[in-house]
Amino acid sequence: MMWFFKGIKKRIKTEKLNDKYKIKYPSALEGKSDYKCPTDAIEDQKWVKEKCIFCEKCDLKPTYNQDLYNINNNIPGLFKKSFYLYPVDSGTCGACNTEFDTIFSPQYDANRFKIFLSNTPRHADALVIMGVYTEGMEKIIENAYDAMPEPKLLIGMGACSISGGIIGEKIGKKFDIEILGCPPSPYTVINAILRARGDVK
Amino acid sequence: MKYYKFGNKNGRYIGSNNKYDVYENTIASRISENNVITEKKPYEIYFNYGPSAGGLRESVNFNIVTPGETIRDITVNSHYKRRKINIINNDINTALLKIERINGFHAASNAVCFLLAIEDALDIDNTGSNNKRIIEIELERIRSNIDVIGRLCESAGFSIPEKQLLYLREKVTRIISDAFNHRYFFSANYINNVHGDFNKIRLNNVYDEFNEIYNGLLESKIFMDRLQETGIVKDINSSGPAARASGYKYDARVDSESLAYDGYDAYTVESSDTFSRFMVRSNEILSSIDIINKLLNKIGNDKNDGKIKNNSGEGAARIESPQGDIFYYVNIEDNRIKDLSMVSPSYLNIELFKKAVKNNNILTDFFFVWESFGIWVSELEVDFI
Ligand code: SF4
Ligand code: SF4
Repeated sequence: MMWFFKGIKKRIKTEKLNDKYKIKYPSALEGKSDYKCPTDAIEDQKWVKEKCIFCEKCDLKPTYNQDLYNINNNIPGLFKKSFYLYPVDSGTCGACNTEFDTIFSPQYDANRFKIFLSNTPRHADALVIMGVYTEGMEKIIENAYDAMPEPKLLIGMGACSISGGIIGEKIGKKFDIEILGCPPSPYTVINAILRARGDVK
Repeated sequence: MKYYKFGNKNGRYIGSNNKYDVYENTIASRISENNVITEKKPYEIYFNYGPSAGGLRESVNFNIVTPGETIRDITVNSHYKRRKINIINNDINTALLKIERINGFHAASNAVCFLLAIEDALDIDNTGSNNKRIIEIELERIRSNIDVIGRLCESAGFSIPEKQLLYLREKVTRIISDAFNHRYFFSANYINNVHGDFNKIRLNNVYDEFNEIYNGLLESKIFMDRLQETGIVKDINSSGPAARASGYKYDARVDSESLAYDGYDAYTVESSDTFSRFMVRSNEILSSIDIINKLLNKIGNDKNDGKIKNNSGEGAARIESPQGDIFYYVNIEDNRIKDLSMVSPSYLNIELFKKAVKNNNILTDFFFVWESFGIWVSELEVDFI
């Protein structure tokens, strides 16, 4: 009971998305650069966002824009009422994992957008794969995907899973949603899902 | 190497990797041991959990031997997410981008320790950068300890303080991102330099908010009951908050010369259980805020003008990361990485966790005990190639 009142006393802490807090890196970069990028994320002076780890070394300019994702398949309408995510760590550094749980913090409160965490792939609508390819997790990821009910989606979160980033090999699966960044910010994760679901045009 | 030499065991044990056993002042060849689970008895079962399961933040597997309620034996299989990181022969700046991503949640500790080893190898005077580095590491410690305590609350079913701590963790993360341009300190650290706007670091609210949650938890009999006398382990081979929760004054802030803290005294308690580890972490959040506030007034005149004198050499460094000693050894040839070795605090913490969880605990204690050590598999399971 004591904690109940302590909770009430703090009032609502949830913020509007992309409210006052601005994130410099990662955010969409603009401009041209001749810099020899360590992840080959600059080709013909142009930015290749999927490969970027936002290392701040080149002269591409941060825009603070958190819409860093690719929607490769639109999400079926039936996920509008609830969308359950099951995260899998293939080979992360830990920062993607932490940003993923931050979407459920009071500031972001992903539950208000009907985005939930599932404790098992059997009840999940999407598998969120983070980190580089590792031999040890290959079979585990396959098993988790097979255990999910249809329709099901694959989400890649972070440069490691999508391009290998600077650490290793990419996961090598076709993702329905690619959430970019190293690590992607909680805004980016939520924005990508809302956009794919058609909640935001 | 100024502070380390190759040789036999000397001083307290820091941990091991696949090549070396590292002590307080020496690096010795590895004596390996096996991680074998005892056979189950006829009335017992094996309980297998992970590597991918709800409640686990990283991929790790536990194989528990139990007669039904108590945990008699356990193995921790952390190899599933083992990463091979191509770093040998990299130039120092490219290597640094990879070092930051060994444990992204503790990127500042890893980057600073690596750079201190490089500066030792190349004989660079880094005195102008080190106070700024201490501020970074203490900020990282505040966030990391808030995270561990939040996860303890989650394991205990205390969802309101858990959410309040998640809120506070994000608040500290935003202070980090405003000051260092990145929420995890990526690309903030350089040879003899830190890129950051230290005027943006204001922690008084964090102090008050944490203190209120901490005092609330101390008033809760149920929370105390769950943590007290679970996961007891007292072992001379320990590190970080787990060591200090058993009365050992082990702290690289006190006993390592790589990064000098002025007059810091380690906080210790004696009872060696999950509650003691919670106490140590909570008090260290408050003491880290004090350290930062004092240093913020001092760094104004610090100049980063140490020159690089060599382009080859061997160096080593040890600092106190949020979960305990972290150690880096580097061998540099023509500004490239010829050899690299690190010891993470998770090495000793996993060993302690296994001893603690077998010590008269039941299955429902498992999560408290695991979370109380703040183990990160990412920093344990890396091969440098
Ligand atoms: S920020 Fe870094 S990774 Fe991204 S394009 Fe520039 S150099 Fe490449
Ligand atoms: S994408 Fe970046 S933050 Fe995410 S796991 Fe890889 S290195 Fe870490």
